[in-house]
Amino acid sequence: MDTTLKLWAVIVIVGTLNYLSRLSFIALFADRHVPALLGRAFRYVPAAMLTALVVPMVVALPLGPIGPSAPKIAAALVAGVVAFVSHSQLKTLGSGMVTLWALEALAQRFG
Amino acid sequence: MRRFASDRDFRAGFVAMLPACIGIAPFGLVCGVGAAAAGASALGALGLSAIVFSGAAQILAVQLLAAGSPLAVIVLTCFVAGLRFLIYSAAMAPYLRPLPARWQNGLAFLLTDQAFAASVRRFDAGGDPRGGGLFFFGGGFALWTSWQVTNVVGYFLGNLIPAGWSLDFAVPLCFIALVAPHFRSYPTITAALVAAFAVIAFAGLPMKLNLIVAGVIGIAAGTLADFARERWIPR
Repeated sequence: MDTTLKLWAVIVIVGTLNYLSRLSFIALFADRHVPALLGRAFRYVPAAMLTALVVPMVVALPLGPIGPSAPKIAAALVAGVVAFVSHSQLKTLGSGMVTLWALEALAQRFG
Repeated sequence: MRRFASDRDFRAGFVAMLPACIGIAPFGLVCGVGAAAAGASALGALGLSAIVFSGAAQILAVQLLAAGSPLAVIVLTCFVAGLRFLIYSAAMAPYLRPLPARWQNGLAFLLTDQAFAASVRRFDAGGDPRGGGLFFFGGGFALWTSWQVTNVVGYFLGNLIPAGWSLDFAVPLCFIALVAPHFRSYPTITAALVAAFAVIAFAGLPMKLNLIVAGVIGIAAGTLADFARERWIPR
């Protein structure tokens, strides 16, 4: 399948699935009772899924020497603390980027 | 549109979303760059950002497309990453219930991590449901529009951004901003830690399947920790 066709298939299918997920409890199952186990499992979807997305963007996988990833790991931890305390997206973004730039500059200078 | 532009609640929602629009701008640029790198046409890139309207799904889709993954794997990965919309949908449902079906169907399309976070605060503050709906619409409209602009700019001008800026790193930072504030209960922390270990442990799986596996294991771990807390820790 060529890339253009595949991309449009992704747009239509993922677009539809995403929209149905967004619409789910607002309209589709508005009157249904959510089973207790499912409701409980749902609570942990963002924490598990977003963390699974973040880790490979911070740590180079498959796991090798940690050195090259160290500035990103440190910057992600700083950003995590800032996000936890401030709840601010801009402060999280700013602190993480500045930490990364500073550590990469230091690594270039002394590394 | 003009009818809304003069509405007080719509404008308040629009303005309240502007910091988030700035915050996700680098993410939008990275998505545009990724679409260009995957060989998408300009129209395809715009279709992806306009219709899918989810940074996580878009970035996964273009990376998997560029790697030549089968359609089924791309769809499954994006769907699992988008499962969190179910939670947002369930949480928003009580607030949107008083609104007409036409409004519910429209606002559901604009449901994102950021719109959810901003609007739940506004709905919780009280006021009439219609005002809350218009506030949500204003914020969602601001976010959708700025997302299209940054995606298109990234697609066409992304190659002008110096690699030394490490703009890619803005993507995990956006997710960290969303997830870290929730690390206030043991089950949530368990879900995140287990998912983190699992995504590393299963890094050998092809086509980024470690993301889905780690997500599912993390959700299971969080749920088990939740049951354990209830059973052993008296309230």
